[in-house]
Amino acid sequence: MGIVLDAFADACEVLPGGSGILTTTDALINWSRKSSIWPVTFGLACCAIEMMAAYATRFDFDRFGIIPRPSPRQADLMIVAGTVAKKMADPIVQIYRQMPEPRFVISMGSCSNCGGPYYDSYAVLKGVDKIIPVDVYVAGCPPRPESLYFAVMKLQEKIFEMKWKATRGAARQQAAGSRDLGAAA
Amino acid sequence: MSVPQAPSRSPMKTDQLFVNLGPQHPSTHGVLRVGLTIEGELIVKAEPDIGYLHRGTEKLCEIRTYPQCIVLSDRWDYCSAMTNNLAYCLAVERLLGVRAPERADALRVVHCELNRIASHLILVGTYGIDIGAFTPFLYAFREREMILDLFEMSSGARLTYNYIRLGGVMRDVTKEFAEKTREFLAYFKPRIDEYDELLSYNPIFLDRTKGVGALSAKRAVEWGLSGPNLRASGVAYDVRKWEPQCGYEKYPFKIVLGKNGDCFDRYHCRVREMREAVKIIEAALDGLPEGPVMAKVPKVVKPAPGEAYAHVEGARGDLGIYAVSDGTACPYRLHVRAPSFVNLAILQELFVGQKLADAIAILGSFDIVLGEVDR
Amino acid sequence: MSIEEVIARLFSKFPASEKSAAPVKDYATIQLRSREDLLPVLSLLKEQGFAYLDMLSAVDWKGPVLMEGYVREMNPNALQPGGAAARPAPAPAPGFAYRDEMTAVYLLSNLPDRLKVFLKVDFPRSDAVLPSAVGLFKSADWQEREAYDLFGIAFEGHPNLKKILTAQFLEGHPLRKDYAHVRDRFDA
Repeated sequence: MGIVLDAFADACEVLPGGSGILTTTDALINWSRKSSIWPVTFGLACCAIEMMAAYATRFDFDRFGIIPRPSPRQADLMIVAGTVAKKMADPIVQIYRQMPEPRFVISMGSCSNCGGPYYDSYAVLKGVDKIIPVDVYVAGCPPRPESLYFAVMKLQEKIFEMKWKATRGAARQQAAGSRDLGAAA
Repeated sequence: MSVPQAPSRSPMKTDQLFVNLGPQHPSTHGVLRVGLTIEGELIVKAEPDIGYLHRGTEKLCEIRTYPQCIVLSDRWDYCSAMTNNLAYCLAVERLLGVRAPERADALRVVHCELNRIASHLILVGTYGIDIGAFTPFLYAFREREMILDLFEMSSGARLTYNYIRLGGVMRDVTKEFAEKTREFLAYFKPRIDEYDELLSYNPIFLDRTKGVGALSAKRAVEWGLSGPNLRASGVAYDVRKWEPQCGYEKYPFKIVLGKNGDCFDRYHCRVREMREAVKIIEAALDGLPEGPVMAKVPKVVKPAPGEAYAHVEGARGDLGIYAVSDGTACPYRLHVRAPSFVNLAILQELFVGQKLADAIAILGSFDIVLGEVDR
Repeated sequence: MSIEEVIARLFSKFPASEKSAAPVKDYATIQLRSREDLLPVLSLLKEQGFAYLDMLSAVDWKGPVLMEGYVREMNPNALQPGGAAARPAPAPAPGFAYRDEMTAVYLLSNLPDRLKVFLKVDFPRSDAVLPSAVGLFKSADWQEREAYDLFGIAFEGHPNLKKILTAQFLEGHPLRKDYAHVRDRFDA
């Protein structure tokens, strides 16, 4: 089954009208991915409280299909909400590696964007993008839940541009990761 | 007195397993790691490991000017940032020899008590989730959003306010603020009974929290606990009554005490404290004096060399700030006596002999915030 | 019992102590003569009802803090030709008595009688050793570990004196005024 799916994109290219099948498949897969993003519960500091508010009653995240998962093995998004202390850097990388592909990272708040108010501290990592690749950055200290919503919507746009041809299914993703979101199709 | 270990209870020798609780865990309320050595369900040894949110604020405060440190102070106990601001500003005001005007004091009280309610609502919500009840979280945050609207009206921010400043508060509140606050309080009073119905008298909740993690008063005082954790064991230590500042002596409220010091008492003390906070806010709004909201403070704050200590009743306990000035524009030394840091130390003893699920209940009932623990 | 009675009793037992020349504003502050007095004074106060150790901290009097203790990358500022100016190191305050010593500060509370007293004990920076108060007050456990981690004060008799806040790979004691940050793999 895996071999069939891997060769699916090449086969479609050869067939007449195949590119139509590919774009429809892309649209279907991307729509289902973006409508059901499951983040791992990963609040570090103050931004976590705003993230919790985004999950809660007034700003309901569930209507986006976003359900928090406690285990990274069952999640496809990591919202790094809060200051990344250097002691926490290794656990973050470990959790990121435990997430299955395709996985995305939103860096929420100025502490995880660039160090934030602790830009000269001996104990703070100046931005989580020093250790893991980040898809969307949200500015704010802490960002309002509406800003987090906008970030998720930007991420959904990004997901919608993913192309099967570029990512080619499980084997290639495991080898190369899903950073290549359709740009080099 | 090394890290205590429980003796094995059963005649059958089973293997001991070392399990990490955290640092990423839905129930640790932040990045706390507890290294648990368990035998089956029973915890034999617990070693809390903190520092996963250590940001070095005490060192940073030595290079930030006094007003800039207020920004950093918001982020210690981020669930109730107003009380952090207040503790810091009171300490520096003592160094300066400045007293905030009466209207500023009353506004400080209103905002701190509203923040206390907001913080206890977080506890009600997240403690319910820890125990397994998801619905109280949604109800609690519904009320909390209204409080955050009020804060947005007065300070402009939802979580880290930077509202209480050296010499008073940032700016005056409008009449609309007082009206909306009274509306909110009228709406909120029956809600507290709703939380009691939803969660506090729920038989599953009672089974999981009554009798679990009981602390005697003597033990609590020995370990330096403060806040609702201490009052649940029956010790009547509330900084608002002990050393009232900002006019707390004018407002009628009771110290909420518990009897057994178990998880249920710690949780229920906080629910009842919300009622007392409502009374304080009503009294403060009724007696809100006219006048300026900021005392005369120099533009460049350079207190004379000296030392000062100020403590307030934060939502988590006795938050104290020890400030040393050498006459320059930056503090020479700023130490934060964080209640959650001191409260957390007892876990290495309290977890031993408990089941794993009970440990989660105990941890949740202590209501720690890692921003304060690690600073 | 009033605070004056407590202090009078303390002075009669430990005549070398005195009221601090730099008291913490609005609180009774006792300066202990030497660190040998620390545990006896703490137990005397505990007998008199001061069973609650509020705060245990330290102050380093060496001088203004060094900029090497901070991780300040030069900020590329497009509006200024040379980039943003580096922040100058804090200058020593004229007339302030910096000295090569540290002070440990203890705050004890008597909850039933509503009394608080500050204790201060000086010790040299090069010989930062103090007796541990864990035997008397369990709340000293983590606070002493924090003072060890951030200041390098070794508490004799502490059962578990390990780092508590900083990462394992961090060398040195950050809150000391002459702390120079050693760049680790995250500061690249």
